[in-house]
Amino acid sequence: MASSSVALRAEPLQWPRRIIVLLPGVALLVLVGMAGKVLEKSIATYTKAHHIVFPNIEYVLWAIVVGLLISNTVGVPAWFKPGVATYEFWLKTGIVLLGARFLLADVLKLGSVSLVLVLVELALSIAFMTLLGRIFKLSPKLTSLLAVGSSICGVSAIIATKGAIDADDEDASFAIAAILALGALALFTFPPIGHALGMSDHMYGLWAGTGVDNTAEAVAAGALYSDAAAKIAVLAKTTRNAMIGFVVLGYALYWAAREGRQAVGNKAAFLWQKFPKFVLGFLLISLLASLSVFNKDQIASLANLSRWAFLLTFAGVGLRINFKEMKKQGLRPFIVGALGEIVIAAITLGLVLGASKVVKL
Amino acid sequence: MADQSNESSKRRILSLDGWAVAVALLLTALVRLGVLKHISW
Repeated sequence: MASSSVALRAEPLQWPRRIIVLLPGVALLVLVGMAGKVLEKSIATYTKAHHIVFPNIEYVLWAIVVGLLISNTVGVPAWFKPGVATYEFWLKTGIVLLGARFLLADVLKLGSVSLVLVLVELALSIAFMTLLGRIFKLSPKLTSLLAVGSSICGVSAIIATKGAIDADDEDASFAIAAILALGALALFTFPPIGHALGMSDHMYGLWAGTGVDNTAEAVAAGALYSDAAAKIAVLAKTTRNAMIGFVVLGYALYWAAREGRQAVGNKAAFLWQKFPKFVLGFLLISLLASLSVFNKDQIASLANLSRWAFLLTFAGVGLRINFKEMKKQGLRPFIVGALGEIVIAAITLGLVLGASKVVKL
Repeated sequence: MADQSNESSKRRILSLDGWAVAVALLLTALVRLGVLKHISW
C-alpha cells in the first residue's frame, strides 16, 4: 500500500515522466485482469459445450491466480512495479464509483449495522491480538502494529500507526507481511465457508468486510462469493476504514504516555489527517444517486466502471503475493497473526450470524 | 536535500485518496454529461 503512494508521489520525476513510469505496470494489470475474464468465459463455454460438470470459477479468482503465478515464477520486473503498485488507486476509485449503486438511506441503514459489528470486532480483536503478542513474547510495538492491522484495515493502518508510535521499519514489515499473507489465505477460505454455511449475500458480505483485514482482499473475498456480497463487503470495510483515525490516535496517545513523549497536539487535525478521504467521495456519489441525478443507464455505466477498476485491483493483489518474500519475514509474527485471524474470523462470523437473528440480513 | 524534499512536498497536489476521488468524480461527470455512454462489462 505504501508503495502505491510512493509511486504516485514519486517526487523527483516531472509529470509526463511520472505517468510514463506507471504505464508498463498498469498495462500488466490490464493484461492479467483481462486474462482472468477470458479464462472464466472460455472455461465456462468449453465445459458447457462438452457437457462437463465444472464449478464456475469467477474472473476474480483467475485474475488473482494468474497474478500470483507470474509473481512467484518469473517475478515482476522492477520497471513494472510502480504501475502494479497503483492497484490501491484503482481500488479506491472503484469504491467511490460504487457509491452510485447505494442509496444514502441504505448506506446509513447498513452502515449502522456494520458500525455496531465493527466496534465489537475492534474491541475484541485489539484485546486478543495484544494478549497473543504477550504470550508469544513479541515486541510491544510489533504487537500494537499487528493488533491495529488485524482490527482495522490492514496495511494502511499499520503504516499510519508506525509513524504515530515511532515503531521500527522491521516491526512494520513483519506486521505487513503477516497481514498480507493472511489476507491471501482468506481469499481461498472465506468463500467455501460461506457456501458451506449457506450464508446470504448480505451476511457473507458483512463477514468479509469485517473479517478480512486488507481492503483489496476484503473486496476480492466478497466478489468471489457474488456481486451483491462484494457490494456489502465494500460498505462494511469502508465503515471499518473510517475508524482508522480513532484507533491510531488511541495508540499514539498510549505510546506517548508510555515513553514520556509529547502527546498528539491537535487531536481533531490528527483525526482528519488519518481519515480515509475516499469514504467522503463514496458518500458524495451515493448522495447524488439518492437525489436521482443519474438515470438507470448511467448508474449501470458507473457500476461497470467500478468493476473495471476492481479488476485491476484484483490483478494487483495476485501480482503482489510473493511467497519467498513472506518466508523471509520469519514464522513467529505469522503464527501470531494466523492465530489472531482465525479467532477474529470466528468472532466476526459469530457476530454476523448473531446479528442476522436480530436484523434481517 | 531537506529543502528539496520540502519543495517537492509543496508541489504535491493531491494524496492518493484525493486522486482516486478526483478521477472517480471526473468519470462520474463524463457519464452524467453523456460523454461516456453504455460502459459494458
